[in-house]
Amino acid sequence: MQKLSRRKSSSRPGAASGLAELQRAITGALMKPLTADEEMQPSNTAVAERFIKPNDRLTAFERLQIYSQQYWWRLLGAFGEDFSGLRAVLGEKKFDRLATAYLEEHGSASWTLRNLGSQLTAFLEKNPKLTHPRTALALDVARVEWARVLAFDEPARKVVAPEKFARTPADRLRLGLQPYIVLLQLSHPVDELMRRLKHTEFSAVSNAVAAAENRKRARVTVRRSGQPVFLAVHRLENSVYFKRHDREAHTLLLALRGGATIEAACETAFADSKESPEKCAAKIREWFSRWAEFGWFCVPLRQ
Amino acid sequence: MVNCSIRRSAIRHSKFRIQHSTFSPTLPANRFNSFTAYGVGIGLRIPHYDHILGKKPAVDWFEIISENYMVDGGRPLAVLDQILEQYRVVQHGVSMYFGNAARPNREHLKKLKALTKRTQTPWLSDHLCWGSVDGRFTHDLLPMPYTWEAVEWTARNIREVQDFTGIPVAVENVSSYAAFHASEMTEWEFLNEVVERADCGILLDVNNIYVSSKNHTFDPYVYIDAVSAQRVAQIHIAGHTKFKKYLLDTHDHPVLDPVWKMYAHAIARTGRTATLLEWDDHIPSFGEVHAEALKANNFLPHAKALAA
Repeated sequence: MQKLSRRKSSSRPGAASGLAELQRAITGALMKPLTADEEMQPSNTAVAERFIKPNDRLTAFERLQIYSQQYWWRLLGAFGEDFSGLRAVLGEKKFDRLATAYLEEHGSASWTLRNLGSQLTAFLEKNPKLTHPRTALALDVARVEWARVLAFDEPARKVVAPEKFARTPADRLRLGLQPYIVLLQLSHPVDELMRRLKHTEFSAVSNAVAAAENRKRARVTVRRSGQPVFLAVHRLENSVYFKRHDREAHTLLLALRGGATIEAACETAFADSKESPEKCAAKIREWFSRWAEFGWFCVPLRQ
Repeated sequence: MVNCSIRRSAIRHSKFRIQHSTFSPTLPANRFNSFTAYGVGIGLRIPHYDHILGKKPAVDWFEIISENYMVDGGRPLAVLDQILEQYRVVQHGVSMYFGNAARPNREHLKKLKALTKRTQTPWLSDHLCWGSVDGRFTHDLLPMPYTWEAVEWTARNIREVQDFTGIPVAVENVSSYAAFHASEMTEWEFLNEVVERADCGILLDVNNIYVSSKNHTFDPYVYIDAVSAQRVAQIHIAGHTKFKKYLLDTHDHPVLDPVWKMYAHAIARTGRTATLLEWDDHIPSFGEVHAEALKANNFLPHAKALAA
């Protein structure tokens, strides 16, 4: 290989500005949202011309625009896949406006697109206008869809052996919950909404000719629930599931996750209950049996 | 079918004949290519999971996108473990960004290293590009300004990844749609400078060279002839899309004839080299992807001997 002789940096535009400055300027330009016609913002012209060479077919602006469009289309695509329920609730136009505003503020702070929606719930709480008049439903759906991302690939820790249940007194036994379980209190039956959406999408895919069009039009909603909905989003055999709970079961699981002993968690869960102690005990037995079957209990981190 | 003239042009090449007659499939082709036993692989993609796990087709090796498996649990790792029971796997990254004007992220490196222990990948690859600034990620493979400062940053970062993981790194040339005023050398000169200073291998993507040659108007064979052939550890082939004013590296088509010709030319220079077909969008059946990849055997020395 012929060795190049090292030269001093040229005085051409951009040459003396350094790699970091070039990268910062280009990134800033790429991340400005596209126009309504999906073109790069005209305000990026100066950056494009300062750093990028035109060729015989494309101006500097057009060359940079290829990257800006790819950035936005890639991130909007990934965000749309993760929050398809939110899209169905808000409709295409409103969802696109929301997605662009969210990504402009938060973008991606991770080497993986998996974490793209990690700030969405907080963003929606801060910007209710973007989801008006379905703000409460949009928030619930966003919580469930982010929980679904976590449930999919958060770690599974070693399951506590059933013998430990038997030999440790309830006032000393502490159980951890698997990190992939997300416990939610919602004001809408979002699990029903997601099932309905899945059915709608499946029907659309079955009608091959109109599939894409139908998917675009799919819009779903559910009424606010009279009672809070307690939902666990979890994983079983590598698939994500929703599991509804009673208020008491939800409180018990939260208490366990907070580090309470089984005895203390049960007392907290049934503190306001008017049911007989026998009925409460029967419920607890049934819940623990099912949760153990799901492999939900692991050694708590603090132990 | 592969055009016969492609094969003829490859066989006419004198270096090809020499390597063909002296090649031993058990010996490394060069210091950076100890993987001559790896023939033609394909990318492991979700739509093919069921087919691969159910039918267990014969495949030389799978390339995985490292980032898709740098997770802590769930289906991705469960599938990967099943694949590893049956197949050889090589890791290919998309977000290490060797060309960033910043050092590699430590957490990213730790996750990457943990995955290498799981996969036992014989080499690691990622791209000759940049893609994040101040903790904000573009998730794109952005082209480098070909400057001496960029050579230094990129080589330093590759060395750091190589040292941290303890695994040989091969750096891949990207396709590009923009060129910078600041550039002080050609892309192939830049590539050679970087790999010499980093003392690493090259993942030569011949489709990317073709796409860039059209977008920047250079002769792709000049590029291939200039590359340090003794450092080529792996080759990528793929399809692209032609737009009115430029080509886009879409990985959603079969390999086009001009790219097969370039592949033949590259193999003639490098000798038998692990080759991988990338197909990432509009992914057809496993059989279709694999059949397209196996066309590479028409150009690889001793492929038939190895398969027998």
